[in-house]
Amino acid sequence: MPSFDEITRRWKERVERAREYEVVQEDGEASDVFLESRVSGREYEQAQALLRSLLKRYQNVRLADALPGEMISNPHGSCFHIEHIDQWPLFNFSSEQSMEILLSDLKLLYGIGYVTEESLRGEGFSTITHLKDHHVWGTAAQRFLGLLQSADTPKLQNWLWHWLPKSHPKALCLAGLHDVTDFLIFDIETMGLFGRPIILIGCAQPQGETLIVHQYLLQEVSEEPAALSEFCGHVTKRTALISYNGRSFDLPYIRERLGYYGQGGVTECAHFDMLHFARREWRGSFADCRLTTLEREVFGHIRKNDVPSALVPEFYDVYLKTGNIGPLVPIIQHNRQDVITLANIFSELCRRWGNGDW
Amino acid sequence: MEIGKFIETFLLPSPQVEHVEVIPPRGPQYGDLEHELCPPLKKYLQTHYIRLYTHQAEAVDSILEGKHIIITTPTASGKTLAFNTPVFHTLFVDEDATALYLYPMKALANDQLNVLLHLEKATGIKVFSSIYDGDTPQNARAKIRERSRIIVTNPYALHQYLPWHQKWARFFQNLKIVVIDEAHTYRGVFGSNVALLLRRLRRVCDRYGSTPQFVLSSATLANPEELSRRLVGEVCEVVSKEGSGRGQKFFLFWNPPFLDDHKIVRRSPHQETVDLLTTHLRHGFQTLCFTVSRRMAELVATWAKNMLAQEKDDCADRIATYRAGYLPQERRRIEEKLRRGDLHGVVSTVALEVGIDIGSLDSVIISGYPGTIISTWQQAGRSGRGMEDSAAVLVAFDGPLDQYIVKHPQKFFGSSPEHAIVDLENPYILMGHVLCASAEFPLTDADTIFFGSQFSEARQELVKERLITRTPRGWIYSGLARPAEVVHLNAISDRTVTVWCEGELLETMDFVQANREVYPGAVLLHQGETYLVRKLDLVSMTATAEAKTVDYYTEAQEVTDVGIVERLRTKDSRIELSVGDVNVTEHHPSYRLKRYDRVLGHRPLNLPPVDFESVGMWFTVPPEVEDEVKESGCDFAGGLHAVEHGMIAMAPLYAMCDRWDLGGLSASFHADTGRPTIFIYDAFEGGIGISEKCYELFDDLVRATQELIRDCECEEGCPSCIFSPKCGNDNRPLDKQAALILLQGLLRQI
Repeated sequence: MPSFDEITRRWKERVERAREYEVVQEDGEASDVFLESRVSGREYEQAQALLRSLLKRYQNVRLADALPGEMISNPHGSCFHIEHIDQWPLFNFSSEQSMEILLSDLKLLYGIGYVTEESLRGEGFSTITHLKDHHVWGTAAQRFLGLLQSADTPKLQNWLWHWLPKSHPKALCLAGLHDVTDFLIFDIETMGLFGRPIILIGCAQPQGETLIVHQYLLQEVSEEPAALSEFCGHVTKRTALISYNGRSFDLPYIRERLGYYGQGGVTECAHFDMLHFARREWRGSFADCRLTTLEREVFGHIRKNDVPSALVPEFYDVYLKTGNIGPLVPIIQHNRQDVITLANIFSELCRRWGNGDW
Repeated sequence: MEIGKFIETFLLPSPQVEHVEVIPPRGPQYGDLEHELCPPLKKYLQTHYIRLYTHQAEAVDSILEGKHIIITTPTASGKTLAFNTPVFHTLFVDEDATALYLYPMKALANDQLNVLLHLEKATGIKVFSSIYDGDTPQNARAKIRERSRIIVTNPYALHQYLPWHQKWARFFQNLKIVVIDEAHTYRGVFGSNVALLLRRLRRVCDRYGSTPQFVLSSATLANPEELSRRLVGEVCEVVSKEGSGRGQKFFLFWNPPFLDDHKIVRRSPHQETVDLLTTHLRHGFQTLCFTVSRRMAELVATWAKNMLAQEKDDCADRIATYRAGYLPQERRRIEEKLRRGDLHGVVSTVALEVGIDIGSLDSVIISGYPGTIISTWQQAGRSGRGMEDSAAVLVAFDGPLDQYIVKHPQKFFGSSPEHAIVDLENPYILMGHVLCASAEFPLTDADTIFFGSQFSEARQELVKERLITRTPRGWIYSGLARPAEVVHLNAISDRTVTVWCEGELLETMDFVQANREVYPGAVLLHQGETYLVRKLDLVSMTATAEAKTVDYYTEAQEVTDVGIVERLRTKDSRIELSVGDVNVTEHHPSYRLKRYDRVLGHRPLNLPPVDFESVGMWFTVPPEVEDEVKESGCDFAGGLHAVEHGMIAMAPLYAMCDRWDLGGLSASFHADTGRPTIFIYDAFEGGIGISEKCYELFDDLVRATQELIRDCECEEGCPSCIFSPKCGNDNRPLDKQAALILLQGLLRQI
């Protein structure tokens, strides 16, 4: 019988052949998120050149010397922590703005449609607050007001999604019920699309006029439980997560990995997935709604020496194979820039939609 | 007229009957349950006047005692009720309990769902039975995972869902019973994959604190204990003594007549089948006819229809074809009509061999030996209503295998059905599933229970290639692609071609099949209608056809070739024996236009060949052995071909596979070796370790093949030695004597 090592090599080949991105000839069109799994021939060539130069530049350089960070430990092990302070305050709706926008829409109560709303307004009920003693709508109005008062955004999100599309500006308005310090803007880098380790978790918390970006990097895959646990430590019931496609990808991925290790879950909290809102605002304006496209078109930032998302797994794999930290450098930068741009998109949309005019 | 009388009057006197086996009737035997069923089930059985047969009672009791079991009673003996009853009882007693039903194909899952929904309604036991597979709409999935207590699925789907076990936490935590129906289909490489998939299922259940009980149901086969133990990893009690009653069955072997005085050419078995089918139908017997190919199913139905229509017999409208490729709704409609008796004759491929509920029929015509004893009995079992008489007629084809079977009925009726082989130690398959398991949750030493003694060695090698990584939490998956996407349970390609006619989807077929059947110019037969294929687009994977009445059909010529890509190892001996990567090509250089069995003309075809890379072993025949065979006056090519068949027949004993897992080729001259060569290759893309094992055990394999052929009592070959049920050349040429000289020659060199 063929030996195990020969068979393992065959499996390795099959796994490598089954890469999850495709190199396409031209920057063809595709839906925003799935675009992440396509790389143009030019991007691919550039990335390979970048990789070569990084391997050369960072030969024999230690991680802590190249990236300002340190090893941290928790009961789940250790990982590498990089902290970065960005001078970019987060702009949010004011709570008054939010309250006004939400309360003026009677249709948020179950059973009230356009016609009923019209006639209620005629009777002088112009906000949900006015309805709180109404003989028909009073109970519903009081429940809604109760949620607003306690600023129970997770429940309010569900309430709104019943009546409105996920991308509706009113759904973003709920952010106004949060203090800026509640926000946790996050993005993960992984070794693939599900079922493989998360290699880097980036999350940012606003503090005063700054944004503090924490990045938890795995120096080896065994550090994943520790990184996951650090991330979970940032999430409380009051947290409001901000992500880009995080409802479908990042958060389920984190949950899956926690489950993989039998490590409990992420505290349930509000979650603003900016992909939905960004598509509503910018669909059709640019070639696509990828984060990097918006970064370039809306904020005028052009990335240099970036690693395309789809190639992150390969870069990390080269690091694991060679021990050369070069390939990690652009991954860290890429992830940090994603988090910062995400914060900017959030601020920009709050600014644009804050006057209730959309 | 009763069918028995009909057979005696119209068929038995015919000289075409080579053999008739009368299987005597047997009265039903009822059994009493030792266990008390829950009130709703008790009431259900009472109000439906159901008395359990002995084997059903035995199965129910064993399951309720918590035993793993395998039920191997024949088709239509009430196996479904035997496991549904205890499952529902368990789900009644424990309101959280869940059960998983595995079916090898989607059509069966649909069928079973109807049975479950009926039982649910009749007993009032709330289980929310659902199918969950690739066809389940996305928006229905979460709800099914959250509340269904019986989920019906297939192994391919389970393989994809296991990595998502967290979403299934409730279901797995409460999993009490796993039902595996049609267990005999899980043999060979497919069976080995399913066995390891079930280890992964047990491992996941173990993590969620459940230890489900396994209930298997299977066609009659030679080794039910062994198959079940290997499949699920537990000793299963065998329930095989059937208690259901059966009427008398006439099993006829029918050989088409010779057309010439020299007894060389027989009449077409297809025409013979059409005659038999129409004779049955004219006398009002509901008949199911099995054919060996899709095309033949369509043609036989059309020919029978035409014949009856000419006679102005209404029956002409009550004939239908049934086969894979039809859209599910269309298949449902045919099944339903057959059950209701609206259809009198259905011509089907093996698609109806498995347990789809079509009721029981008066007679079954098997056009061409299906290749295995298991299949033949499954097909024959489709006839027989309660205690009424029934018939089965096997129409022999011209090839040596069919001819041998009908000439030696004792070889068929006196033999036990085939062994179903499952190999848990094939390192290829094992490693694939260890990889999958590592992506489900970290591997630990405790997993040896599931993956056996080779586990730690496999794990160690996977670490070396960094496919898995050792961490304090165990060994975690660290490859770059999802293992469940890389590991395939079966050789079936997931590339499907859709066939369109005027903007409507006509049918779907596998990519390889499409190359054989829907090339430009091909006539596609669909429910008796003819469609002319205009275009086959292999990029968009679509074929376009137009409805057009033509009075011919088409048949693509098929050429299979094996080329050596890379020689990996060569054995040092006087026989040039190698193992390596091979490229298997199926090519269709032309097609024939045919009317009935007459060839009207040839047309060239210009399609790219379909090929796949695999691993194969090959050896060349030394010149002196070649000379020896030729000097003896025997047919050298026939000898090579016979040796190839014999070796493939013996390989399962050494390589723990099914003969269908292997392909072979023998050539009197092969371009890559420059010598007479025999190839044996894995019928799986990328190889699966079988031919490598044949390479390692080559000497034993040659010796065993020589003994097999030498000791076989036949004169010119038979299915027990050199006839292959899957030969692409219809078992021609074959020369037993040449094979023996060749093998002796080889043995002298070893």
